[in-house]
Amino acid sequence: MTEEDPVAELLFRVAAQDRAAFRDVYSRTASKLLGVLLRILGNRAEAEDALQEVFTRIWLRAGRFDATKGRGMTWLIAIARNHAIDRLRARPDDSLRDSADELDHVRDTSPTAENRLIALGEAGRIAECFATLEPDRAEAVRGAYLNGLSYIELAARFDVPLNTMRTWLRRSLLRLKECMEA
Amino acid sequence: MTDDLPLSPLDEDDALAAEYVLGVLSLADRSAVEARLKNDTAFAARVLAWENRLAPLNDDYADVPAPDLLPRIEARLFPVAAKPARRPLFGWLAGALTAAAVVIGAVVLLAPAAPPPIVATLGETDASLRFEARFDGQALTVTRVAGSAAPAGQVQQLWIIAPDAAPVSLGLLEGETLAVIYPEAPAGWTLAVSVEPEGGSPTGAPTGPVVAAGVITDL
Repeated sequence: MTEEDPVAELLFRVAAQDRAAFRDVYSRTASKLLGVLLRILGNRAEAEDALQEVFTRIWLRAGRFDATKGRGMTWLIAIARNHAIDRLRARPDDSLRDSADELDHVRDTSPTAENRLIALGEAGRIAECFATLEPDRAEAVRGAYLNGLSYIELAARFDVPLNTMRTWLRRSLLRLKECMEA
Repeated sequence: MTDDLPLSPLDEDDALAAEYVLGVLSLADRSAVEARLKNDTAFAARVLAWENRLAPLNDDYADVPAPDLLPRIEARLFPVAAKPARRPLFGWLAGALTAAAVVIGAVVLLAPAAPPPIVATLGETDASLRFEARFDGQALTVTRVAGSAAPAGQVQQLWIIAPDAAPVSLGLLEGETLAVIYPEAPAGWTLAVSVEPEGGSPTGAPTGPVVAAGVITDL
């Protein structure tokens, strides 16, 4: 761990059953995690319910967090995203969810998000790499990550067969990786 | 374009890890990935690398002021601290709630050598699938004594249910036996086994059919 990572410090204490540290993690990160859950689930009551489950998991799994492999906040957001996406995929009508508004929202917010990323220097690399992808494929990757869109939803939104969507996305992801490691 | 060429096996793994992190997979495919993550450290490293790679996108998630849900979360995790057992008559209930919390710190133990007493039988005597629960003063050990494990892609998950409370997971019955550290064998509580997707219930509550259940009796 080269940079300061206050959330990681707190997670070490949580792993040692420190309840005060757990409260600190909540006050520092609950708003961000609720933002993640609400964006993916699109429903306030469910997002708050999910937030309780996410913090239950944070308490239970803190011992598995490894600060040499990533930042504390990244780990927390991964728990929140995974839980939200599992909930989405478990919905009986998952494939029917209307995704158009969400993708418009992604498009609206992208420029600011990308500017912010560029301002962050190293993190700006991902924005540069997104810029090397065809715009609709970059949009599909962002829409999937930020809003939890499934392959079925993406294929419907971009009006291509499911397999084509999958090929697109996999190729785009591998190109993104090559670019970021270049 | 190279879009039609097949990916190399390593690229396949990397693409699957990326798809999992991205979240585009179906529930069944996600469960399969989660099961693989437990045993395949190289694959787990790929998933972690993708989480880090895509983490800059997290800046796009706006904060949404959260209400203080800590009391509810803590009541779930640490019921004793939240409800001091001042009334002796409610000591049993407090104990029950504690039991739910203890599950949280559950540790899988090796099955003890001499079998401790049976506290519950899950399933009727002649049922094709039956489990026995034993308690040795420290751990509840549930063993499948008839029938077989869940079919491929699914797993049997053990739950404990206090009266009028939601089921709490005790873990996955991947082998024949599951042992969980538990302070007592709470009489009147129900033990149940449901069939869940590989890796366990994605929601934290039973989602599949209950295939066996039994009530814990007094020793």
